[in-house]
Amino acid sequence: MSSERRCSWILAAVFSFLAVAWESSPRVLAGVAGKAEIRAPRGLPKVKAPPDNALEERKIELGMQLYFDPRLSGDNSVSCATCHDPRRGWSNGDAVATGIQGKRGARSSPTVLNSAYNVFQFWDGRAASLEEQVLGPIQNPLEMGMPSLAVLEEKLNAIPGYKVQFQKVFGEEVTAPNVAKAIAAFERTVLAGDSPYDRYLAGEKGALSTAARRGMEVFFNQGHCSACHAGPNFTDNAFHNIGIGVNGSTPDIGREAISKLEGDRGSFKTPTLRDIARTAPYMHDGSLKNLEAVIEHYNQGGIANPQLDEEIFPLQLTDQEKRDLITFLKEGLSSNSYPALEPPSLPE
Amino acid sequence: MQRMVRLEKWVRHGMVVGILFAAAMSFGHARVTAGQTDVTPVASNLDNPCGVAIQPGTGDIFVSTHPAIVRLVAGEEGYRTFVEIQGFATDVYGKGPKYEIGPLGLAFLDKKTLIVGGGENKDGEEVVRFYAVGALPRKPSEPLLADAMIHQVGPIKRGPASAMGEGNFFGIAVQASDIFVTCNGDDTKGWIAKIAVKDGCPGLLTPFIPTKVETEVDAPAAATISPEGKLIVSQFGEINVPGDALLTYYDPKTGALERRLTTGLHDLIAIAFHPKSGKLYGIDFAWMAPDRGALYLLEPGEEEVATTRIATLDKGTAMAFASDGTLFVSALGSAKEPMAGQTKDFPGKVFKITGLD
Repeated sequence: MSSERRCSWILAAVFSFLAVAWESSPRVLAGVAGKAEIRAPRGLPKVKAPPDNALEERKIELGMQLYFDPRLSGDNSVSCATCHDPRRGWSNGDAVATGIQGKRGARSSPTVLNSAYNVFQFWDGRAASLEEQVLGPIQNPLEMGMPSLAVLEEKLNAIPGYKVQFQKVFGEEVTAPNVAKAIAAFERTVLAGDSPYDRYLAGEKGALSTAARRGMEVFFNQGHCSACHAGPNFTDNAFHNIGIGVNGSTPDIGREAISKLEGDRGSFKTPTLRDIARTAPYMHDGSLKNLEAVIEHYNQGGIANPQLDEEIFPLQLTDQEKRDLITFLKEGLSSNSYPALEPPSLPE
Repeated sequence: MQRMVRLEKWVRHGMVVGILFAAAMSFGHARVTAGQTDVTPVASNLDNPCGVAIQPGTGDIFVSTHPAIVRLVAGEEGYRTFVEIQGFATDVYGKGPKYEIGPLGLAFLDKKTLIVGGGENKDGEEVVRFYAVGALPRKPSEPLLADAMIHQVGPIKRGPASAMGEGNFFGIAVQASDIFVTCNGDDTKGWIAKIAVKDGCPGLLTPFIPTKVETEVDAPAAATISPEGKLIVSQFGEINVPGDALLTYYDPKTGALERRLTTGLHDLIAIAFHPKSGKLYGIDFAWMAPDRGALYLLEPGEEEVATTRIATLDKGTAMAFASDGTLFVSALGSAKEPMAGQTKDFPGKVFKITGLD
């Protein structure tokens, strides 16, 4: 056999292996030596991982266990999934998050869906990566209430199943930074795409109903939605003031707390609209119960304040246009590949 | 408002010219050397300079500032500053920091015709104006008035093509009989508008390329024509998102997007080709990280642009090369908030940058 033909056979074998692995997992394409490549659904770009946190199958599995494990909280009652629940759009269905001992925060739980593509994490963008984000809620006394990262490490190292897995994945016992890396790796697999809108763009003209197609036109034109909800993940990853929460007695200044720029007062990160029908209530404070209320908010031009974005202005949409827009959001952006994951068995 | 009235009074009495001239002289010998590149301020005390164009023939530098368009004329002892056109209205850009702005983009249609992109009016009311300018500066007591244009085109009003109407005409590129203008009105579109010129007369200001639709990134900012005749546009991106600025290539005839390159820069606000080497340079305004604001050499690759930092700039805004390869750059600078009873600083400057190849 010539060397060229031998190479062809080897390549064919590799591709066959990859193809089998692709089909065997809905989300993760297993590669050589445990390395994994995330299979992005139609309409979404390739997922990139930071150089110091390469995607590996075992790491993703470990991260999934940690994500669903309430033992990461101070009183073993709250896991990441409590507030970012796959059954509730990877949010929690409440206006604001409820942490240990029923403590409540001031902001809604943002969805984890497609957070792999976020430039910033948290509503105010105070974390620049998923790895940076993970340890915040674990230590937040209103959320998971772990007294310290040292306590977290001690607690997880006392669970043999974790200790063994961390050794296999990271070559050392449990550390807080590696907890963050594992959970972040798992979260990068939580993707929602392949919606009727994506299939419509791909040429499947019947993928959207007539009303949804009209709503799509409103979305990208007179509804002005795509001024901020742009790109494959329907977010510009930027911060905008749309007037929500500005009139309270203690207004949430949002991004300004991080950037220290007056222009960012009352600004919050643009959320994805993928699977928006699953993530009610809406806005950073969960103050709008349904999409009808959201559209009405924008149609009226938001709530006036000195930092209101210039993209927010009265839209003068007709009732029909509003209905069509909501149809597009609900029908057009609901994912066929929604990751409805069940909690895994947790290590003892 | 009071400050505006006071400023207009000063301009009427020629005081601004005097202040600008004195400041230019005082900075004439202050130099910053970055490697082999020499950066020299040639005008200062400017109020938010946002546009730079060099007049063919004279080599005079025209700069759009908040209250006026000024002309910098080289002399033996440095550059003298003259007010060329004054009386523009004022708009405010940003929500904090806020910048008072007037006319924005500048370009020459020919030796005698200066094109001015407006930024002083509301979206949907903004216009592009054409002024006749001579080979010599106007007398200090006789600047042109803003409404003394020879042509005016626009506005692009609120309507089906633009949900807000268009405004903030920041970048202007001229190719033969076509003028391309970057617009920042409807952020769902990010229009580049086009003006066809026939027999020296500009036609309508018409939406041409919806850059946001093409690139999925906000805000076309700078525009220029490449040595190969392509329309090159910088996409500014979101001011509070790092590294999202793009460099894009369009067919100027059809408007088709040909290349979309990531830059890793925050806010690519200005671009220009070196007239001798053909190398591309650009300015990152870096709204959210002003210490990263700088002039860069841009080397386009297949999917991204390699960037090399050349010189730090404090909120650089616009640039233009002279025919000998000297670069002139405007920068807003940073002002201290005035105490009660103090007058406000005007920290804007124009720099001459030599040594680029």
